[in-house]
Amino acid sequence: MKMKVNKIWVFIGIMVALSPLFAIAADMVGYSEPLENAAEHLGAEEDQDYTGVLPDYSVPGLGSVSGTLISGIVGTLITLGVAVTIGKTVGRKHGDS
Amino acid sequence: MHIPDGFLDIEIAALFYILTIVAVAYSAYKVRSELDDSKIPLMGIVAASIFAAQMLNWPIPGGTSAHFVGGALAGILLGPFAGCLAMASVILVQGLVFGDGGITALGANTWNMAVVDVFIGYYTYRAISSKFNKSVGALIAGWLGITLAALFAGFEVGVSEGFIYGLSITLPVMGIWHGILGIIEGIVTSASVSYVASSRPDVLEKVVKA
Repeated sequence: MKMKVNKIWVFIGIMVALSPLFAIAADMVGYSEPLENAAEHLGAEEDQDYTGVLPDYSVPGLGSVSGTLISGIVGTLITLGVAVTIGKTVGRKHGDS
Repeated sequence: MHIPDGFLDIEIAALFYILTIVAVAYSAYKVRSELDDSKIPLMGIVAASIFAAQMLNWPIPGGTSAHFVGGALAGILLGPFAGCLAMASVILVQGLVFGDGGITALGANTWNMAVVDVFIGYYTYRAISSKFNKSVGALIAGWLGITLAALFAGFEVGVSEGFIYGLSITLPVMGIWHGILGIIEGIVTSASVSYVASSRPDVLEKVVKA
């Protein structure tokens, strides 16, 4: 069990480590998702007032590679924390455990 | 797939907030007895790996990019209710921490990716894997889940008057594009499920029983 869990974390680490490469590649060729493409085509505009703490997976003041990397690490850990917290909160409601 | 602020009318945004809150609350209610010391960490790991996988944007020739969404996978590995909570965690962190998906659209985004993708994915997998095999079940589940999630996104945006396109454009654009990109989603879902089936068969057995 322990070993298997560690293996998954290695895999997650590899994905996070690769994320800057994917970000650079998509950025360089100006690729964006179908929804955004359709919107841009006729000029519908995003109206995003709230951009988050780390806007668009970047760290203000840092370059795109280190920003994406840190976003990946921080985001993965926060997501883990949120899901486990939700799990514990919901599970505890059931009773004694 | 993540709808930003400004695309949805307030009524649509509100409607999907309500639907999402009902679905997530129902999932929390249904899953509360299943969440034990082995399932909670698994839920965390599935959520964390889906977050990491969503960071990887694959460039598709023609100026499009897409990333793995993973709702069907979460449903298959965790069951629909815990899967819904795990995906909701991912969408929440993406919206609040990274501004990926608008705050007003958080309800709609969670509905599409944490409810539609997860539940459609899970029940499709169950129906097909019992007749054929797990790999085929997961492949079709991944594809159908993402395609229907995309159609929902197209619907939400299309019925919003604030968005420049109507349904006649948004549904085909989202449905066709994600129907094609969904094949990759299906392949990744299938490969992941096959891997878990061989390395941790106990995980999948538990879910099918539940």
